[in-house]
Amino acid sequence: MDQTSRTTLRKLAAAAVFLGVATPVTHAEKLAVEKDALKLGFIKLTDCAPIVIAKEKGFFDDEGLQVEVTAQSNWKVLLDNVITGNLDGAHMLSGQPIAATIGIGTEAHIVTPYTLDLNGNGITVSNSIWEQMQENDPDLDSDTPEHPISADALKPIAEELLAEGKKLQMGMVFPVSTHNYEIRYWLAASGIHPGYYSKTDVAGRTDAEVELSVTPPPQMPATLEAGTISGYCVGEPWNQQAVAKGIGVPVVTNYEIWKNNPEKVFGVTRKWADENPNTLVAVTKALIRAGKWLDETDASGKLVNREEACRILSQPNYVGADFEVIKNSMTGTFIFQKSDVQDMPDFNVFFKHDCSYPWYSDGVWFLTQMRRWGQITEAKPASWYDETVKKIYLPEVYKKAAASLIEEGNLTDAELTKTEDGYKPATTDFIDGLGYDGRKPIEYLNSFEIGLKDDPSLAGK
Amino acid sequence: MAVKYKLLKAIDISGLSFLSPVVRLVTGEEPAKQVREIGRFIVVPVVAFLVFLWLWSVLAPKHKTKAGEVPTPTVVWDAAGGIWRFHERESAKESAYQLTGPDREEKLTAARARLGELDALEAGAKEQLDAAEASSKERFDAIVAPSKAAHEQAQATARQSRRDRTAALREKASAAASSPDERSALLREMRAADATAEVEKAKVDALKDAYAEAQEVAFPQVKSARNALTRLAEERQFLVKYIDMLSDNSREAKVAVAKQKLDEATAAYDSAAPDADLYKLGGAVLKRQELLATTEASQYAKPWTLPKQIVRSLLCVFTGFLLASVIAIPIGILCGLSPTFMAATTPFVALFKPVSPLVWLPIIMIIVGGFMPDPENHWLVVAFGKVPFIKDYKIDPMFLSSAITVALCSLWATLVNTALGVASVDKDHMNVARVLRLGFADRLLKIVIPTALPLIFAGLRISLGVGWMVLVAAEILSTSEGIGKFVNDMYTNGSSQSFAQMFVVVFIVGIIGMLLDRIMVVFQRLVSFDTAQAAI
Repeated sequence: MDQTSRTTLRKLAAAAVFLGVATPVTHAEKLAVEKDALKLGFIKLTDCAPIVIAKEKGFFDDEGLQVEVTAQSNWKVLLDNVITGNLDGAHMLSGQPIAATIGIGTEAHIVTPYTLDLNGNGITVSNSIWEQMQENDPDLDSDTPEHPISADALKPIAEELLAEGKKLQMGMVFPVSTHNYEIRYWLAASGIHPGYYSKTDVAGRTDAEVELSVTPPPQMPATLEAGTISGYCVGEPWNQQAVAKGIGVPVVTNYEIWKNNPEKVFGVTRKWADENPNTLVAVTKALIRAGKWLDETDASGKLVNREEACRILSQPNYVGADFEVIKNSMTGTFIFQKSDVQDMPDFNVFFKHDCSYPWYSDGVWFLTQMRRWGQITEAKPASWYDETVKKIYLPEVYKKAAASLIEEGNLTDAELTKTEDGYKPATTDFIDGLGYDGRKPIEYLNSFEIGLKDDPSLAGK
Repeated sequence: MAVKYKLLKAIDISGLSFLSPVVRLVTGEEPAKQVREIGRFIVVPVVAFLVFLWLWSVLAPKHKTKAGEVPTPTVVWDAAGGIWRFHERESAKESAYQLTGPDREEKLTAARARLGELDALEAGAKEQLDAAEASSKERFDAIVAPSKAAHEQAQATARQSRRDRTAALREKASAAASSPDERSALLREMRAADATAEVEKAKVDALKDAYAEAQEVAFPQVKSARNALTRLAEERQFLVKYIDMLSDNSREAKVAVAKQKLDEATAAYDSAAPDADLYKLGGAVLKRQELLATTEASQYAKPWTLPKQIVRSLLCVFTGFLLASVIAIPIGILCGLSPTFMAATTPFVALFKPVSPLVWLPIIMIIVGGFMPDPENHWLVVAFGKVPFIKDYKIDPMFLSSAITVALCSLWATLVNTALGVASVDKDHMNVARVLRLGFADRLLKIVIPTALPLIFAGLRISLGVGWMVLVAAEILSTSEGIGKFVNDMYTNGSSQSFAQMFVVVFIVGIIGMLLDRIMVVFQRLVSFDTAQAAI
């Protein structure tokens, strides 16, 4: 140790004695936020947890923010409220900032510095469809069938209906939602065509063998029971609700369709982000702490805070569903049938697996799916995917927030996501085993059996 | 005696005529007749309501759907208690945030003591729940086991016999290749085998349904034990947050920290050496001052609770009602005065009157949104934000859209009634006015409006009733905070309490609607010359 640092140490020690305090962590300067009273929107789904927890556990307070959290009735209203400024920011579908920015549906430049969670969705089919699937595949006719369940047993049902001139009806929550892409992926992986979007067909039913329609999440179980749809893809607690009420059987979770797939993000408008840069960092800091709190485990790997989180989420002004129902999926189990309860510790991930970092590769995956199903109507070169996602995902804000948390002692360096180019390594963790590398979108698009394909020469452009 | 007649007059004007026999009975006027009247106008309605409650509590549990149970009156009452508890707790947090000094300490000690008590209570409740669950598990298994075994066995037998049949048929098929007779016999047998399989499947399905039905068995004691535990856990949740708001996160504590930081910054600025960066230090002082000011003015971000939502709904309905009156009364008067004007307005009234609020609202939201691109800084919102009482209820574009929708749907009754009232002014009165050479204004104020007032108020009363009905629908669609938003939130919650909470809203909306109607009746009778009974 050289002379200067030794003197510094001595000075610090003296200062500590002088102040009469022995704080283990040095509190960094609170950010000068541009706006201290915020209004954030959410949809009543358990994956809004980081926002709710950041409020209830005082993480927003620590950043000097007074946050009002208000439930929105559907994704369209939520997005409109963010765009018009009624809300400062909101819990959004991963596809929403992307679609809004590139102009699918309502056009507005939305950005995201934070991924709220991974996984957390499921596909549920009605009891009668489940029985028919069991007839088609006797292996499913068991109290504990083997998972993951593919759509193979569903294919004959869809074909039979087609022969009668009808189409199997299924529900998803929003045209640019993860649910739409997941149910499409699941169906297409078994050779069932879910239909293309085009400039004239905004319902996405061209060539469809199964027709998908939009139903708001809370109305899914009722719509299923009424027989309007025969199955749906939705987030929690609406799959477990179907089990609890005995109206349907969840057959597959999105964790099984794509292991650790990005689900919801925290979105604000570009304009808001430009006007309130420090506030955005402060919000991100609070969200990172909330995510970390949600994923805290004890030595045996048990999630220790989830029960409390479920209690908070079951308050009527938050998710509001019964504690027992929320608890089912949030505490690491998933009930497929009353007789089939599976351990799924990663069904809801809020922090681990570098969850909260805004990965470019996640955004590119959604772009490829939008192109695959024709929501992006024109072929685009590979470079366009990269440029577009860099306009929407803000890892620099995340990094700033994380650095500030490390300085305060609320985050360790080991927990920090480390990446060079912001893309996750290539993976084959899909239900059909196809490989995905975010740096090669065109190759990925062309690897699907069902889906629009682009000129391979676009890969180099 | 004078008091009695004053009282009877007041009762008459307020339209609460069922009370007058009581007053008459007390003053000893024709007791037998009064008792009969009381029987008819007070006892009968009360009995009818009690019968309704009884029927409800008997019939509700019999109607079960998969989406939930129809709540009984007791459950609804509990839900009302739950809504109120939520309101009280949020209010407690809000006041806790602002408490200072000894008051804060006192509350803090009480809350901590209660939290201590909760540990034992919660442990007890947990034990009870575990015991109830264990015993119900045993009973569940006992109930379900026979049907499960039956189903499984039938399934296994059916599979086995199907396999046997298939094997036998295959064997026959390989042997029966020679004659056409044998071939057709084989086909027959195959068809018969299919039919047998169908029958077997039907049997298995019936057993499967029985098994599924057996699994539906409910255990009320588990439910009540779980509810008890949930209530305690919710209280703990509240207390933890409450204590936080009283201690570390109280405004007093935050202000103290901010003050200390300001003092440090000021000290640094004052004692800085002349060669120090005074500009930077001064900036720090200013920033600290600003932070201190915002902390001092900060409020607990309290979520909307039903009582506050009710007040906002009332504000909204009166805004819409006022708007409707301001538009409808002048136009109605013009219509009544001039048949030509009436002819010009009729198509619009006929065209727009039947339009549903659910159609108006999205259109109005777009129009209002167009006028308010930046709602927070729009002059109207800013202006409302300065009015003492109203500023607590956040007047935003959604509120205005809902109010305008209410106005658009409710103004027709007032318009039509006003026109009718004005048109029915006695010709003789008008002739007298002409003889007296009254000016237009005098004619309007002294003859036309006084004559038309009873009908105008009859129209206003209908308008307010319509407006109140429309408002809840508008709020559901616009998610503007209010009773409608509450209903929508409870519906989306889909918890076991949701239906009961919506029943609570039915009564609240009904009672408020009734009160509004009564108020309008009083106004109507005050301006009426006739003594006709107000309709109920």
